[in-house]
Amino acid sequence: MIKAIDLTKRYGKHTAVNKINFEIAKGEIIGFLGPNGAGKSTTMNMISGYFAPTDGKILVDGEDILDDPEKTRGKIGYLPEHPPLYMDMTVKEYLKFAGQLKKIKPADLKGDIDRITDLVKITDVRGRLIKNLSKGYRQRVGMAQALLGNPQLLILDEPTVGLDPKQIIEIRNLIKDLSDDHTIILSSHILPEISAVCDRVLIINKGEIVASDTPENLAENLAGMHKLHLQVKGDEEKIRKALDTLDVLKDVTVQSAREEGVMSVLVEAGKDADIREDVFYALAKKKCPILQMRPMDMSLEEIFLNLTTVEGGAN
Amino acid sequence: MLAVLKKELLTYFTTSIGYIFMGVFLLISGILFTMGNIFGMNSDYPSFLGGLIMIFLLVVPLLTMKTYSEESKLKTDQLLMTAPQSTAGIVAGKFLAAASLFLLTLIITGLYPLFLSFHARLDTAQIIGTYIGFFFLGASFISIGVYISSLTDSQAGAAILTFCVLIITWIIDFIGSVMPVTPLSGVVFALILTALAALWMYNATKTPLAAAIPVVFGLIIIGAVYLINQDLYINLIGKTLSWFSLTKRFSNFPLGILKLDAVIYYLSFSGFFLFLTTQRIEKQRWS
Repeated sequence: MIKAIDLTKRYGKHTAVNKINFEIAKGEIIGFLGPNGAGKSTTMNMISGYFAPTDGKILVDGEDILDDPEKTRGKIGYLPEHPPLYMDMTVKEYLKFAGQLKKIKPADLKGDIDRITDLVKITDVRGRLIKNLSKGYRQRVGMAQALLGNPQLLILDEPTVGLDPKQIIEIRNLIKDLSDDHTIILSSHILPEISAVCDRVLIINKGEIVASDTPENLAENLAGMHKLHLQVKGDEEKIRKALDTLDVLKDVTVQSAREEGVMSVLVEAGKDADIREDVFYALAKKKCPILQMRPMDMSLEEIFLNLTTVEGGAN
Repeated sequence: MLAVLKKELLTYFTTSIGYIFMGVFLLISGILFTMGNIFGMNSDYPSFLGGLIMIFLLVVPLLTMKTYSEESKLKTDQLLMTAPQSTAGIVAGKFLAAASLFLLTLIITGLYPLFLSFHARLDTAQIIGTYIGFFFLGASFISIGVYISSLTDSQAGAAILTFCVLIITWIIDFIGSVMPVTPLSGVVFALILTALAALWMYNATKTPLAAAIPVVFGLIIIGAVYLINQDLYINLIGKTLSWFSLTKRFSNFPLGILKLDAVIYYLSFSGFFLFLTTQRIEKQRWS
């Protein structure tokens, strides 16, 4: 549905987004991930038509968005980083205005507003002035604005900022529900959110895409190691001796755990080696019972830090 | 456009701006009318209306300072600019909202001549003509204010700048009358304009070649005109400045003369500034 070709944005001499290429299929949920100032919001602003790219182009449904900007903008619902709210309006007035801007037929608009205020759970504050709402409510009003007119493409820039954990889960579920008939691009710095919701993650750093894959694949490919976390009964020396007999292990760290006489052990093997059985028998032979064994996948946080800091250092 | 127009009108009255604008304008005009026309027993309404322009000039910044500066400050322009609306339509909506509020206020002042008509015979056509002139003049003021509001994201800055520019258009005839009238000063003025055009061209394109185009053409035209008809340079500065004199063209309306060229002048003046505003906003996408 969307294709970005050599997309570039420069502000004077500063390059915010540098020749990025990506493609998003219909119905996909894509997560933009990156540190602050990486170019996530700039990229979203370009897709939504708020900024024009300095170079390169964006195709929506095969058409360059600059050919008929008004038509393309009509297909997109956009929630920017700062929800564009008019503080002196009530929620209802605001949504009515947003609907009129989006050229929703007056006959459909009322029903649409009812449906969406229900969906994002702001029905009870419809008559209140936006300036009197809490941050979480404001965020949801912004979200409602993006959903008006049921656009095919939703661009959500940090949609869960300022929400409490319960609301975050609600919004997450909402996004999942919407994904049935919408294409969604969202950005976040909360990583579990991305892995919980997105089909695919684009990690952006310094205006460039440094990785693009499913959250699971990213974790698998980039972890590079098979790690196990163990709780073993016995003293350190005995455990080390037992594990030294295994050649596949690359790294072993042993620390005393909270429980007395129990060590907390971290073993790392080369990629794709399943060491669970070997570790079990090796320790069993030395009469060191394993109380707990837990595979340690590299979390998205670690991958993210890995990619952005390593890449950053290399530049 | 209609959506923006409705929303702007709504905001004028949900915030205090609309009330302050109408209140201040009606209060001051009411005092002047009572003192001058009622107590002074003067039935010359059109010249009173002409004097009101100065009061209107004081309150125009109130009407226009928020139009765009607040949108870019609060980032609500992101809603407007990503909606399926043309930039020109959005600018037109904002302008028409300010103009409608102004028109509404003018209609309320229509009560004054009504009071006068109980005591004196008034020339209705003349008064209506003056109102028409006032409205078009006011619309031109508003268009300047809307443009200035798009230049900055500070409301106060926009208000002060608008006020200064309007004062300058008010006294521009006076400025023109003290400028040198010799042909030489006219040539120098034309050269300065050419240099400014070249500078602007260079700024926009960053290529010296493009900047050379206005210089070459400017010099050829200046030289040719000098050889053919030197008299054209006499009082060139004054003549050029008077193009921007909004109030000079108003002077015919209170006399009961409805001149089409003045109306066209005001309409194109407003159109030009709204065009500049549209360009300015559209340019923000690209910078």
